[in-house]
Amino acid sequence: MADYLLEMRGIIKEFSGVRAIDGIDLTVRPGECVGLCGENGAGKSTLMKVLSAVYPHGTWEGTILWDGRELKARSIRETEEAGIVIIHQELMMVPHLSVAENIFLGSEPTTFGGFVDYDAMNARAAELMKQLKMPDVNVALPVMAYSGGKQQLIEIAKALNKNARLLILDEPTSALTAAETRTLLDLVKEFKARGMACVYISHKLDEVAEIADTVTVIRDGTHVATLPMADLDTDRIITMMVGREMKNLYPRTPHEIGEVVFEARDVSVWDTTNTERKLVDGVSFQLRRGEILGIAGLVGAGRTELASHLFGCWRGEHVGEIRLEGRPIRVHSPLDAVRLGICMVPEDRKRHGIVPLMGVGHNITMSVLKRYTRSGLIDDEDELAAIQAEILRMKIKTAQPLLPIASLSGGNQQKAVVAKMLMPEPKVLILDEPTRGVDVGAKYEIYKLIFDLAEQGVAVLMISSELPEVLGISDRVLVMGEGKLRGDFPNTGLSQEKILAAALGKQDKVAA
Amino acid sequence: MTLTKKDVRNFLATNKIVALLLVIAVIWAFFGYMTYDADLGGSQFLTARNFSNLLRQMAITGMLASAMVFVIVAGEIDLSVGSLLGMLGGIAAVLDVTYHWPLAGTVAVVILLGIGIGLFVGWLTAYQGIPSFIVTLGGMLVFRGAVLGLTGGITVAPASEPLKVIGQGYLPHLGGNVLAVMLFLLLVVLAFRTRAGRIKHALPVSSMPVELARLAAVGVVILGFVMTLDSYQGVPVPVLILLVILGVFTIVGDKTVFGRRIYAVGSNMEATRLSGVDVNLVKMAVFGLMGLMCAFAGLTTTARLAAGTPSAGTGAELDAIASCFIGGTSMRGGVGTVIGALVGALIMASLDNGMSMLGVETFWQQIVKGVILVLAVWMDIVSSGNTR
Repeated sequence: MADYLLEMRGIIKEFSGVRAIDGIDLTVRPGECVGLCGENGAGKSTLMKVLSAVYPHGTWEGTILWDGRELKARSIRETEEAGIVIIHQELMMVPHLSVAENIFLGSEPTTFGGFVDYDAMNARAAELMKQLKMPDVNVALPVMAYSGGKQQLIEIAKALNKNARLLILDEPTSALTAAETRTLLDLVKEFKARGMACVYISHKLDEVAEIADTVTVIRDGTHVATLPMADLDTDRIITMMVGREMKNLYPRTPHEIGEVVFEARDVSVWDTTNTERKLVDGVSFQLRRGEILGIAGLVGAGRTELASHLFGCWRGEHVGEIRLEGRPIRVHSPLDAVRLGICMVPEDRKRHGIVPLMGVGHNITMSVLKRYTRSGLIDDEDELAAIQAEILRMKIKTAQPLLPIASLSGGNQQKAVVAKMLMPEPKVLILDEPTRGVDVGAKYEIYKLIFDLAEQGVAVLMISSELPEVLGISDRVLVMGEGKLRGDFPNTGLSQEKILAAALGKQDKVAA
Repeated sequence: MTLTKKDVRNFLATNKIVALLLVIAVIWAFFGYMTYDADLGGSQFLTARNFSNLLRQMAITGMLASAMVFVIVAGEIDLSVGSLLGMLGGIAAVLDVTYHWPLAGTVAVVILLGIGIGLFVGWLTAYQGIPSFIVTLGGMLVFRGAVLGLTGGITVAPASEPLKVIGQGYLPHLGGNVLAVMLFLLLVVLAFRTRAGRIKHALPVSSMPVELARLAAVGVVILGFVMTLDSYQGVPVPVLILLVILGVFTIVGDKTVFGRRIYAVGSNMEATRLSGVDVNLVKMAVFGLMGLMCAFAGLTTTARLAAGTPSAGTGAELDAIASCFIGGTSMRGGVGTVIGALVGALIMASLDNGMSMLGVETFWQQIVKGVILVLAVWMDIVSSGNTR
């Protein structure tokens, strides 16, 4: 037997009688990267919370051996001292503090008298930035001055500073650009070479395939398999994750593309804080009935800002003409947009999608609640009937129609948010990263739905950072880069490379 | 089956109102015991007369708390309600005493003013983006200043007889009994309709005996309530008004689009806005409702004292806010019920009333109320397992 750095044996965690994880094993050797795969709700996050003592020792069953000795940590502080550092999917940064201050949060070096030693702190932080190949980051600037991708790497600097021996990365690339993802993967490889172990959780199986030495798959809280990556491929991982064969990831169905329903002319959008900065620069496009138009581009290309403008929720300066069915329209608020038949599923589900304290059902009916009123009062019967029809149609897994939406898995929450925006029967549906943080099964359902909608004649505008998804779904692809429209391609013979080249503004090279 | 500590805790967490009623029972038992006097023929706290007084005392705080719940649920706060109550009450007194306006005219003007001022405060908060804490802190000073100017700093008295009825009148016994029976029948019908609806949609329902027991308990409470009040002078008019407000506001909160949106705005305003809801309008309307309740409370205060006083309603905003929090309203918005806030108001009024009867000094009364507020919210956090 090889010596393990970490051994988790027979971990069981119950929540009020329900077993979220039921006897899972996970082992990591020094210098090894273990890919942890499973659908949303399979128990990955719960397992990691057990490991990092978010759930303290004693609230779960099983044993954790760390360096051959049993680990009985009661707080995150203790696991971090032992060298286990978790980097969460959602960034845990204090936006107004500087990069250096964030890296040293909770372990600030001090001078005599308890004052923070800023010189030592900034010097060490700058050194870490160099190690992470980001020497141009000014560690004295507030963290919010940097993009989500850079912030992710700053999180890793924080972990390095804690002398991590085991780094747990939970969906680290979900908000990263392709280039940033590249940097991150290279870094992980470098860490491995230096003997640091790593648990890599991701829905992006290509990344797992690239850096993992061993893959552990879990499903519905149980351990499915632990195999060397050399014996696996992504298709097999998917099969093990869902427990059935996923023949076709993109259930493309033929749909008829009709006349132009929606048109944007010369849309420009300026930043809210830095009003000089143009985020969208003179973008024009047309969208046809029954057409699925993908918008690809790197993070920060202005895609979300463009969508916000079209949906009437951009708070900064904006200009541009929008036409719906040939007539110019004015959209000053999401309310206007929904009334006109333009709906949007926002990118950030937690902040902009769900109303967490309300039930799944009440979330779904939110924008069309007036339909179910009789002389001013909501008819619960009518509303419930509609809710249950939607839950069935969207295959939302919930024990009860009125369970708080926050208690559902990410995929099911997303389906409910999509259902909410379909209730007004839109002519144009804008989807901003519709499958972010969503498991394979739910992804498939959402894709199927998009094709169904196109078949019914809805014009779909889908923003996505996952190129295979853009290629698998779209009829036509717009590519944005630095706020400008850099390409408008019919989706025939289109490749990821071509899109990426366009996004980076290097079309000529490709053509040549 | 044995009841464990956990079972009890779960029950209380899901039936907050029961927990609050238990608190009231304890408080009443305590004061009932402390005020026992054999010479006077029993406990002085637990008499029909004192019960009637207690309810009349809580009516004004209750009116404010009923709307304050919605303000807090929507994620805002209103610190100006005590002063606005004072100002509207002062205006009522001036119209009634100085200008001898008929009651209908006075009431109409005060109500319209209340709604108008509330909407204006709401407009400043929702559409102009000034935090409600600031707008209403300013309002608190402005309205108190206005009432001082209006009354010239002196009491405006005496109020006319028709106005006094609002604060001091009682419903005839027959009227009270008929209303009680109708209310009970309405509740029975509603309970069975809801039940049938839930069964139809395969939602969990409590078993029939439990349902019947619950309705029987409600019946006993209503019966006891009316009989106790009848044995004194009948249902006081302000209490009747408060009960109507309770009914209407509960329906608004549970059954209307507006109500649902108040909770949605408080739980996640951005998501609600992006769902195509006019969140600013919802917020403004909530403040309009608050203004309406200030008008009701102002009229009741003036009628009860038969005079407009420059200090009327001082500190009432804090009582109303405290009632909401004691009654389980969440500071972070999105959670809270009108009935909870009213039970909170009843707890506050019981403490005031009981301690006054015992001759506890005023400074102690304040200390005890403050401690109870913190304690109640702490209990709420512990029982719902939200401790960090």
